[in-house]
Amino acid sequence: MSDADMYEAVSVLRDEVLDTVEHGDRDPPGAEVFDAVLRALNAGGESVPGLDLTLHDAISRRLAWGDREDVVLQDAEVVFDRLMLAVERAFRDLDDQMVVVESATLVAVTVARVVSRAAVDRASHERAARLREEMAQGKLKEVLERQKATIARLEGELRAAAYRG
Amino acid sequence: MKIRIAGDTNVGKVRENNEDSLIVDIERGLYVVLDGMGGANAGDIASQTARDAILQYVAHRRGQMEPKALLTAAIQSGSAAVFGAAQAVRERHGMGTTCVGMLVDGEKVTVGHVGDSRAYLLREGRLLQLTKDHTIVEELVGRGLLAPEDAERHPYKNVLSRNLGARPEARVDITEVVLEPGDRMMICSDGLYGYAQIDAIQYVLGSGDAPADVARELIELALRGGGGDNVTVIVLETPAQPVSSTVVVRTNGAIAWWQRRARFLQLCKDGGLTRNPIVSGLESSEALELIGLSVCQAIFHDLEKSTGVNVWTFAQNLAAGWFERDGNWEALRSMMDIIANAARTVVDELRVLDSQLGFLLDVAVSRALVVAELALGGLLAERLRAIEADLITLHTANVPRVDLSEPRPRLTPMPRLTPNPRSTPTAEKIAAMPPITAEPEEETRPGAEQTMVEPPMSEPSGFIDRPTIPFLRPEREVSGSHESDEVMLAVDKTITVAIARTAPKAENLRTVLSALQQLAGDVAGNFAAAVIAARDIYGIRTVDDVGIMPLFDALDHSRILVAAAVHQIQVPLPIRARALRALSRAHQRLVSAMTGLVLEACLPTAEKLREAQHVTTELRDQVAEAERRRADLERQIAIQTDQSLPWGSRGNTEW
Repeated sequence: MSDADMYEAVSVLRDEVLDTVEHGDRDPPGAEVFDAVLRALNAGGESVPGLDLTLHDAISRRLAWGDREDVVLQDAEVVFDRLMLAVERAFRDLDDQMVVVESATLVAVTVARVVSRAAVDRASHERAARLREEMAQGKLKEVLERQKATIARLEGELRAAAYRG
Repeated sequence: MKIRIAGDTNVGKVRENNEDSLIVDIERGLYVVLDGMGGANAGDIASQTARDAILQYVAHRRGQMEPKALLTAAIQSGSAAVFGAAQAVRERHGMGTTCVGMLVDGEKVTVGHVGDSRAYLLREGRLLQLTKDHTIVEELVGRGLLAPEDAERHPYKNVLSRNLGARPEARVDITEVVLEPGDRMMICSDGLYGYAQIDAIQYVLGSGDAPADVARELIELALRGGGGDNVTVIVLETPAQPVSSTVVVRTNGAIAWWQRRARFLQLCKDGGLTRNPIVSGLESSEALELIGLSVCQAIFHDLEKSTGVNVWTFAQNLAAGWFERDGNWEALRSMMDIIANAARTVVDELRVLDSQLGFLLDVAVSRALVVAELALGGLLAERLRAIEADLITLHTANVPRVDLSEPRPRLTPMPRLTPNPRSTPTAEKIAAMPPITAEPEEETRPGAEQTMVEPPMSEPSGFIDRPTIPFLRPEREVSGSHESDEVMLAVDKTITVAIARTAPKAENLRTVLSALQQLAGDVAGNFAAAVIAARDIYGIRTVDDVGIMPLFDALDHSRILVAAAVHQIQVPLPIRARALRALSRAHQRLVSAMTGLVLEACLPTAEKLREAQHVTTELRDQVAEAERRRADLERQIAIQTDQSLPWGSRGNTEW
């Protein structure tokens, strides 16, 4: 089967794999993964890891909109499992099956890589933010110490004045 | 490459005799157009003489000479023959002929010409003139002595600078063309391009009709343009790239289907769609639009592979809506049959018009209908599954536990099913139905023989502990299945090949491959095993790009190695495919587990950040509180020390 035919053959599994009925007309969860598999098939089934910028972009967007990394990963797992079943059922030609399976695995690894990288980046940002917080805390503690000293002095003066009065 | 070729000639509307000649020798791949000239019927003799000479020359030497040399020599032999014939008879002095010929050798075409007969190539919609007319005017234009725009009006525009017969030898211009799929070539006499617009020629040549039809249409074109000269045309065509059936269905098929939507709706109506209970209460036109047009559109979307409601979604929506209204299956079945029959009739009618398109549409529409049936099947399966789950709930709630330590009675009355508060309406209906095996009247009748059933052997869950319809629920865990020995052997072989290809220092990679080997055997997808394997590989590392990314590099590299290795092992294809599936599943589980570990490793940073932010907030609060306290103290001191302030102002000083 040519790349184009393979693309078409897998495209028709979209509703089944993504369970679009359940999710209406909106892009169902994991759609970015299915689309990435299609792109991988269209590109001949192989690409340099991480070069699927569209997948990167789609996952980043989901994360930016508040989806957690584990949710994104879970959706990818569901799509992978469903695709495996659908392909086994829908493709008679075993060679074609193998091509799709290879592409799906490629995408699964890429998704994991993107999610992990996002998590690591987030952790780095959080570490940097914590460092800033700790620096701010140091300065606040200094200010607090000075304030305490001032308050003690003022209280002494007030007591002295009361005594004099 | 299979080439189609056809030629035709016509005397035209003015001339009385046809001085043109042509050669269409498919066996030798020789195609020639000759346009004779000269008074006293000498023109046709010249062209025929040259034709015979060329044909004879090529017939004797085809295969012995290079095409270019052969065609040149053949045309020159024609010139010599015409010259000889002209010299032999006084009345024929000065006769001659033009000549344009093609010698086809596989995909290579050698074009040779003398005079103003032309060769054209139509490639990707563009018409190229391969030959340059050997006329005085063209020579003048070529030398820059005449402007191209003046050439058309020049009195000598038809006067040839070269022809066959003027001399024993002729200077032949040769051009070589390598044919590409979809190319069309044409050689013609000036009777065509002299009386037909070049745009019209291009249009006809590119029409896609068979070469014979094209040749005939081109001649008609020249005749409609006046037909002042003999016209001769030979058209050669190479087959176009076969258009994939998918593309045909997406384009022509989808359009043809949509154009016949009115017919489809009529057939649906005739089939009884508007009388179906599903659309009861709707006007006939509304019913047709709501159901008929929607399904027609859904099939169109499926054919065109465009976005929008497709057949699967349509069938699901239709059936789900109907079932929600407690509709029965027969009505839905009848509706689907009406739609299917109407669709098939439309396709059959299309098939009469275009058998190939009809065949492709038949396959595509049938597939769409099968998809609709699958959607219905899925929905029915869901309903069955729900009923089954309800039955399990009811059964579990009502069957008393049996103490195995006590002697088991041989027969026990089957308990009545009572509605479970959590059960669905379907379950309630089932519960309300009389029991199948026990009749209540007989149960209560004293002395009547009770219908007995065997009690469960151990506990209710032993009777049935899980739904038994696993399909369409891939997330449902299937336990207790393992890959066969054959597949595992193939997996082992694959991993062995893959490991053999790893570099000596690629420890990570070998560990990943070994983990894949272990995980591949478990079809059930035991995630715990994947997590353990992932932990082994993860080890201890920093949570940053430098620490984490090598893991994914190894996972990706192992994927590539496995994909390559699985094609190298010597096992039957089905086993190989199953081995790849097993390894891919294992791979997916392993990368998921690995990512889970990464996420887990990243979690503390968020927690620590939150703690730090909390501490900062507390410190800020303390600073603010201290600031308020300091200000208060300063105000008190100011009031006490500044006694000069008037009464009433004390305590109002703004600080």
